[in-house]
Amino acid sequence: MAEQHEEAADRFADGTEISEQELAHRKEFLELGEEDVARLTAINDLARRYADAVIEDFYRHLLSFEDTRSFFGDPQVLQRVKNMQKEYFLRLTQGNYDLAYVEDRLKIGAAHERIRLPIKSYLGMYNFYLRAVAARLVDAFKKTPDEAWSTFLSLMKLTFLDIGFAIDTYINASERTIRAQQEAIQELPTPVLPVREGMLLVPIIGIIDSLRARQLTEQLLGSIRSNRARMVVIDITGVQSVDSRVANHIVQTVEAARLMGARVIIAGISPEVAQTMVTLGIDLGRIMTVGDLQSGIERAEQLLGYVVTRSRSGETATG
Amino acid sequence: MRASILKQGSVLIASVQGSMTDADLAQMRDELVLDVRRHRSTGVIVDVTMLEVMDSFAARTLRGITQMIKLLGATSIVVGIQPEVAFSMVQLGLTLEGTNTALDLEEGLALLKGPRIDHHER
Amino acid sequence: MSAELVVQIRVDADVLLARQKAREMAKPLRFSASELTLIATAISEVARNIVTYAKRGQIMLRLVSRGRRRGIRVVAQDEGPGIADINRAMEDGFSTSSSLGLGLPGSKRLMDEFDIVSALGKGTTVTMTKWER
Repeated sequence: MAEQHEEAADRFADGTEISEQELAHRKEFLELGEEDVARLTAINDLARRYADAVIEDFYRHLLSFEDTRSFFGDPQVLQRVKNMQKEYFLRLTQGNYDLAYVEDRLKIGAAHERIRLPIKSYLGMYNFYLRAVAARLVDAFKKTPDEAWSTFLSLMKLTFLDIGFAIDTYINASERTIRAQQEAIQELPTPVLPVREGMLLVPIIGIIDSLRARQLTEQLLGSIRSNRARMVVIDITGVQSVDSRVANHIVQTVEAARLMGARVIIAGISPEVAQTMVTLGIDLGRIMTVGDLQSGIERAEQLLGYVVTRSRSGETATG
Repeated sequence: MRASILKQGSVLIASVQGSMTDADLAQMRDELVLDVRRHRSTGVIVDVTMLEVMDSFAARTLRGITQMIKLLGATSIVVGIQPEVAFSMVQLGLTLEGTNTALDLEEGLALLKGPRIDHHER
Repeated sequence: MSAELVVQIRVDADVLLARQKAREMAKPLRFSASELTLIATAISEVARNIVTYAKRGQIMLRLVSRGRRRGIRVVAQDEGPGIADINRAMEDGFSTSSSLGLGLPGSKRLMDEFDIVSALGKGTTVTMTKWER
């Protein structure tokens, strides 16, 4: 279980792209330079002495609040993140804040995101750190308070660099989810159904945006070829609104189908939609339209030369 | 590249090759006209299955072909427009209005042999 | 396959070559079969313009990227007579029906980005780009 988290975090870090250039830019923006690095590495020994205590205080703080406690219920998870935090804490004062450092930070952020720790809690943790270290800095540099202050500012700069990356991982995770959901929606096919030999039915539901309309048209044209369809009934009963943009898409689809030898009937034009189209001056030209799906199918059958009869008894014989 | 025109009874089948230039298409048009008259064909199928791109130039030439055939008293049908090509054509605004179309050669022949074709009904 | 290519355009056969090269170049990108045909069609339009009106010119093909998205950029350039009234040439109706049609508004619809620079006696340069979705 722990390994899975680690792997996922690794893959995550790979997904976020931070270049040398970007890192340099961020450091420049935070005015994090060589002197800051020097000050931080200077307090590495100090950090080692206080690391355990700071981490314990830190988690005691987290566990004392209900909403953060729930994330660390699993003792295995708790121990793992404690270890990671100690490493993180010490790493802050080890210098060498390069791309490898950043990768590490991204992994940690990802690990916290994966357990769904809210960003506010994650940021709250940084707040705790800075205060915990500030207190110890004041203590250690009693004789040279200026140095304590400068060192604290350097630490603050570095912490903000880290926070920036942490937020990136959270945002990236959200964006990935959104993208995945969008793809899933795109992939929900608008079915193109062969209902008779030579006839396709395309029931459209919901909102047609340009992308969906394009995909639908491409799909329909492909189906016309593979099904050798000569008639297509496009049912727009489920389409919420037909404005001139949608009408344009419909006209284009019909024209493209015709180039492939198929005729299209637009079925399911409700009285409301008809009214809107008249009001907007939308003219579908010579495209065949009917009010309901049933009429559309019957008309298509007629044009294909089908004759539908009902057997006299109206019931299938059994036995 | 020579156009390939085959005769099947009273129908001529002209297959457009993928790499045909506009000049080739024009040449095909001229040959078709001669053949329609020579054989007194009643139908012509222009098969563009191999055409990967139909731009406005090609569409114009194609239009010219079908119009000339019509003037000679024969019916023409364009067949084999591929899905991607049909899609591009409508984006470009090339609808080949007034031209009969069918899915492929088989459908085109069936149309020519069957009941009268309505030229202008969509 | 290099990321940039120039095809000289003088005769119809060159139009075909430009289309083929573009398809090859765009193959590793995430384009659907339809999109590849759109690109080839747009190239066909501008290349045929060169053959018909400018007599000679060139088509430059280049793979471009913007962030994580990749695309293909087509620059069709000639030293032909140039277009006097670009606005009119870009109007629908002027292009498709008349025999002097330039198919420019259509090409614009086929691609994502479209730019044209032209002046009487100064030749024409059309720059078009299509991006992965």
